[in-house]
Amino acid sequence: MIWFVRVLGICLFLVAWEFAARGVPGSVLIAGPSEIAEHIQSEFALYTRAAFATSVNAGLGFVFGNLAAIVLAVIMIVVPKSARLLSAFALLLFCIPLIASGPILRVLFGPGEGPQITLAALAVYYTTLLALLVGLRAVSQNWTDFMAVYGRHPLSTLRYVRARASLPYLFVGLQISAPASFLGAMIGEFTGAERGLGVLTLRAMRGLETEATWALAIISASIAMMAYALLGLLGRRLVGYTPVILLSAPQGQPTQNLWMRVAEMAFIVGAVLAIWQISMDVSGLNRFFAKRPGDVFVFLAESENLATVLSALSETLGSALPGYLAGLGLGAALAAALILAPSLGQVALPVAVALRAVPIITTAPLLVLAFGRGIVGTTVVVAVMIFFPTLVACGQGLRQTPGQIVELFRSYGASKWQTLIKAQLPAMLPAFFASARMAVPAALLAVTTVEWLATGQGLGMLMAMTASTSNYNMLWSCVAVIALAASAIYACVAMIERRILRVYASEQLS
Amino acid sequence: MTQPTHLTRRFFLQTSAAGAALGAVGGPALAAGATAVNFQLSWLHSVQFGGSYLAARNGYWSDLGLDVSLSQGGPNAPVEPPVVSGAALVGISAADYTASAVSQGAPFKIIAVAMQKNPFAIASLSKNPVNTPKDLLGKRIGMAVANTPVLQALCTLNDIDINEIEIVPTQYDPAPLVSGQVDCLLSWETDLPVAMTVQGVENTTMLMADYGYALHSQTYIATEDALANRRADLVALLKGEVMGWNDYVADTDAAAALAVDMFPDAGLNLEAQKLQAARQVPLMFTDLTDAHGFGWFTDETIAANVETLALLGQDVSPDLWDRSLLEEVHG
Repeated sequence: MIWFVRVLGICLFLVAWEFAARGVPGSVLIAGPSEIAEHIQSEFALYTRAAFATSVNAGLGFVFGNLAAIVLAVIMIVVPKSARLLSAFALLLFCIPLIASGPILRVLFGPGEGPQITLAALAVYYTTLLALLVGLRAVSQNWTDFMAVYGRHPLSTLRYVRARASLPYLFVGLQISAPASFLGAMIGEFTGAERGLGVLTLRAMRGLETEATWALAIISASIAMMAYALLGLLGRRLVGYTPVILLSAPQGQPTQNLWMRVAEMAFIVGAVLAIWQISMDVSGLNRFFAKRPGDVFVFLAESENLATVLSALSETLGSALPGYLAGLGLGAALAAALILAPSLGQVALPVAVALRAVPIITTAPLLVLAFGRGIVGTTVVVAVMIFFPTLVACGQGLRQTPGQIVELFRSYGASKWQTLIKAQLPAMLPAFFASARMAVPAALLAVTTVEWLATGQGLGMLMAMTASTSNYNMLWSCVAVIALAASAIYACVAMIERRILRVYASEQLS
Repeated sequence: MTQPTHLTRRFFLQTSAAGAALGAVGGPALAAGATAVNFQLSWLHSVQFGGSYLAARNGYWSDLGLDVSLSQGGPNAPVEPPVVSGAALVGISAADYTASAVSQGAPFKIIAVAMQKNPFAIASLSKNPVNTPKDLLGKRIGMAVANTPVLQALCTLNDIDINEIEIVPTQYDPAPLVSGQVDCLLSWETDLPVAMTVQGVENTTMLMADYGYALHSQTYIATEDALANRRADLVALLKGEVMGWNDYVADTDAAAALAVDMFPDAGLNLEAQKLQAARQVPLMFTDLTDAHGFGWFTDETIAANVETLALLGQDVSPDLWDRSLLEEVHG
């Protein structure tokens, strides 16, 4: 019976789609299922080769990016003093947009697959890192105190206590990575790759080959969905247990030494600038397109340039904020809705994965057509680009609710809704705040993409101009400003997070 | 210098089966000890670079002792960085892009010009056509906002007010025009309009070069360092190009077929490639090239370019162009 309903639902959906493709005005942007199927069949060999090329790069990027995230997370847990510095580096590296990193990677790697693999890895390490850190800290403070009392090394605590607790979150990171690495590999092809689904997408869109554009979107989405489902299955098999979570007592206000904080901040800024300079010098990157900190300082010291960049920044922040809030809210709300009505997941999750795996150049024209080029359109595109990690991470957060508590609620006859509000949502908070932090750079990059493709404003527009003007000083100044803004917003979110988690999940603060 | 058409075709047929395998481009008979040269193209592989493919396939470069790899471009693969850093010996750019890069400190020279007439055009649907610049008034034009100076230059040249044209920021794609979001597009004569024609959308183009927009495009750029130290390689590369493009103009259909054949992973459509190949001929081959040979430029064409660049807000010296290599090639 359930199967019957499902098949019927899919059929109705396909019929509606076919009609939409044929009837709706502006249908030049929409291809129907029959055309798409026919097209895939006629170009099967080409698409198989392209899908293989992109998948291999995405797979390698997935492995390298996630390994890097695991190593970083372990260092940050075992040597807590390194945590701030490493997390600053991780954030700033993630803030470098493709338009700045693309030429550098291509010059460093030459022709071949290097840039695609690197960009796939860069697309995944950050979300996995933040998710994994939440997992590694999701242990009762009693246990870590216990290990410390017995004089065990932090590595032992990591191995015997934290690792087990972190596995579900590691798989959250990996699942978020599945579509992200695929997308990273595809847009990596925009740096001059010879083959792959990204190259074909560009060609199809410019060639007005709507059925090819849709076929490519569907192939990308299907591969990402399969990887997502496979990782989910693997996660359930490998984890196979629900980590026991004992609640930690709320912490008091920690004493903060203002001067220590300032000194630490200065050290981080100095280290970041030094690494920026040294890494470019050591790689012998030409100053024409790989600008150093000094170039940016000199450029921004001219008040005219500074004014241009700052006014663009305010436009960009203004259009990013609604999308950021909408994406976070949508992700968390959908995760909660899936707890109340799990069957919703069969529809929502594939759509969510698909939206994350299809390049924005494919989705943006449709979203812009539907929602316009104003604030609504921008908000929708940004929200679409960031809500998926929030959905997946919050889903895990909700499942993380201690079993005893859920049972207590159940034995008192509490409704699903009451359990959600009073027990599950508080348990979700660490994951929610991790999502709120990972969405900060993601939302800024998303909005610069929209500005380039659809609204012609802000930092995205200034950066896009580089293609014709070679004004790499402007480009790197924009990158620096985006990185600064992302760090500042990240710090604000983290501050709110500490206030709230001190009460609800104090173990996360250690 | 032009190869007889049948020879080109026969050569193509002989080698097409064997050479279909990979995108990596080497001549069919690589001379031992050939100098490796990287040639950075400005966009994805297509018949836009058909003459270069013919030069590679017909062995012109390997005969001259070069092993040329053709690196394709893309949306995030600007030409200037690899050329400035020496990763590529020669790149395909355009006069305005090159002038900007030079003003940012890149030591480039324009050493040859493939597109004598600028390919920028205003594309519109035939039922609501833009045939002259005056027709733009009151219309919505879809373009990258970054290209506003181009439109401004066209308006200045033809004495119309840019404020009476509504600029809609769009990505470079014919869909906004076909779906009615805009009335016209700023595009190349040889790509989006060709796509629309192939898809059965009747369209009209107005070439900006016909309304005073004189700007060399698909220009060959090299660094001053390369001009001083790798002169022989540059001359050989340009010689091969000239021979390849002479073959191209003799049979554009064969060039289109070669592009499709050499890059099976690029998803090229043969019909669209043939149309594109034919449409770029009048941009590349003019009375000037008939008289002096492919790639040529004169002091007069340079002066016209400098004027257009001034309209684009760029103060450029005629020294940006260097004809000495072409003189050796055609000499």
